[in-house]
Amino acid sequence: MSLNNGFKLPRRKLLQGGAALAAAQIASPFILTARAADTVKFGWDNPLTGVYAEPGKNELIGAQLAIAQINAKGGILGRQAELVVQDSTSGDAGVAVQVARKMIDQDKVNFLMGNVNSALAIGMAQVANEKGVLMMDPGGHSDTITGATCHWNVFRICNTTQTEANAIAPTLIKDYGKKWYYITPDYAFGHALEAGMVKACAALGGTRIGGDLTPLGTSDYSAYLIKAEAAKPDVLIFLTQGTDMINALKQAVQFGLDKKMHLAGAQQELEALEGLPPEARIGNWVMEWYYNQPNVPHVADFNKLIMAKSGKVPTARTWFGYAGVWSCALAAAGAKSLDAVKMAKALQGMHLPPEIALCPDGAFFRAGQNQLIADLYVGNALHTGKDGPDDLFNVTTVVKGTTVAGTLAETGCKLVWPA
Amino acid sequence: MSQLLLFNVSNGLITGAFYALMALGLSMILNLSGVINFAHGGFLTVGAYFAYELQQRIGFFGALLIAPVLTALIGLVVERLLIRPLYGRDPLYSLLLTFGLAFILVDGVRIIWGPGSPPYEVPQWLTSPLSATYFFLTGYRVFMVVLVVLAVAALFYVLNYTKLGLRIRAGTKDLETLSTLGVNTRILRNLNFGLGIYLAGLAGALAAGFLGLSPGLGTALLMPSFVAIIIGGLGSLLGTLLGGLLIGVAVGLTTVFYPAASEAVIYVMLGVVLVVRPRGLLGEEGRVH
Repeated sequence: MSLNNGFKLPRRKLLQGGAALAAAQIASPFILTARAADTVKFGWDNPLTGVYAEPGKNELIGAQLAIAQINAKGGILGRQAELVVQDSTSGDAGVAVQVARKMIDQDKVNFLMGNVNSALAIGMAQVANEKGVLMMDPGGHSDTITGATCHWNVFRICNTTQTEANAIAPTLIKDYGKKWYYITPDYAFGHALEAGMVKACAALGGTRIGGDLTPLGTSDYSAYLIKAEAAKPDVLIFLTQGTDMINALKQAVQFGLDKKMHLAGAQQELEALEGLPPEARIGNWVMEWYYNQPNVPHVADFNKLIMAKSGKVPTARTWFGYAGVWSCALAAAGAKSLDAVKMAKALQGMHLPPEIALCPDGAFFRAGQNQLIADLYVGNALHTGKDGPDDLFNVTTVVKGTTVAGTLAETGCKLVWPA
Repeated sequence: MSQLLLFNVSNGLITGAFYALMALGLSMILNLSGVINFAHGGFLTVGAYFAYELQQRIGFFGALLIAPVLTALIGLVVERLLIRPLYGRDPLYSLLLTFGLAFILVDGVRIIWGPGSPPYEVPQWLTSPLSATYFFLTGYRVFMVVLVVLAVAALFYVLNYTKLGLRIRAGTKDLETLSTLGVNTRILRNLNFGLGIYLAGLAGALAAGFLGLSPGLGTALLMPSFVAIIIGGLGSLLGTLLGGLLIGVAVGLTTVFYPAASEAVIYVMLGVVLVVRPRGLLGEEGRVH
């Protein structure tokens, strides 16, 4: 039966090919937008490809809307605003850092924006700090960014992982049990979020009975799910994100694990819910922003603008991008300057106006940490849309950010300002 | 612990069967045409998205039937227009071509269907586990394994008992002699390429329900498939099959004991095979230069 033959392709060539394939993973991305002279530039160093392509795209849509609005209102200090967009990849910190350096040194951007992937955001923050450029991290959650390794010039829109964990843990402990097993993505965000969940769970009497770190971009979770089933937890916690979240949750439901234990997690995103088959849209989660807030001023207008622009409802990511760019513009306006130190000082304690904050209790940058504190939305995923096909999340509690963000001392952030 | 091991070995065989299906197509093209088809993962992705598109029009089973055929048709055109002019040149030419083609296919999918993960519906009766104990044996996974077994059996039948198969096998031994005997080797290579891409398309249509859709779907599966070929032995389809299954089991077992190494174990196996038995498990000594 064996079909061996006298094939002449050298194995070395095949191995060289394999090496080339690996090298392709770090192939240089490309500039998407042309640049004009004398504009205020936002360097957008965020994923356009890979696991986080979808959230990256939505953050970009929000940022583009903000740029259009800013320019329609006369720009920043009388100059037009402009996005310089480049793909950071979803998982290669080397590429993201290289792009950041290029944007600052060659493109002379005034603001550095990114990254969905925390590990990439951490690398970018170091570059931004070294170069003294104001950086806004719209959606990279790792705590250290505005915690132990915080910088005077690095600000963040999305929450810390500890804040998210503090928001969801009480519901899970109270309603579903104290023994938790974790499926955690193996990089900065996953490690931080699991540490946050373990801490929040332990504070309420719960325990971690096991867990696995899964490589970013895992497509087959079956082996991990078999282990999780054997551990018999009360709650199986999914901390994966993007397509990893979709694959993990879908396979868990196919294995019938939802009938043996409660499936839940911390951070959930509309992008992932939309990618799941209806039967796999289950569990309790926390969203950092949600579009269906009928009683909150300006949200409906924002939804309309995003719908007109993209044909889809905004997600938390869209809002991150939108609020991120607007925060930079407000910093420049507050400082009356594009000097990074002056803008960073202007942002300390700054409250975003309601049409940017778009949440019931408002949003502000906590002074001394550079972290935006806004509302969080705890609830459960829905098999089918409630008020429309995209309304896939039922918000049960709006949690005030100030109640779950911890104290400034707890974050470990000590800003060191330039002399 | 023994049950956990048993579960993971069985589960590894299921995953391995899938790797094997993809690797077989890759191996066929490599054997006859000497083309290291880096675009194989791209073709798999195209097959998956064709299945997604067709499923909404003609249902799950119709999509499973037609999507691989459409993918194979693209493969035939690609071979005719792009690959054929490079036969007889250094293999690096076709390697570079398929390398670029892979980017074009994946970016094409991203442009047409977007970067997200559209939901792929599998019939309800296939999504449940067959039993509460063997919960990882869902109807779909069993269906997938049966289909892989059937496809592999059909492939081996075609190669061993049909005129086309005889010519493909003869071609892998000595294409020049085959040509002088009056066989149109251009058409033979074209059909062989199409057959290999058909297997990629079938793997893609199955992966859509197994792993979910994303533009990077095929790229992630390409390296394990290459490794399966080298472990199994270059030139041996049976070896490729065995290589795929071994990789699946190794990943499953590593996940039990040391999950952090579940990806690395594939390359450790590759390294061990290259050092201990460079021709691969079933590759014949002296056959690979």
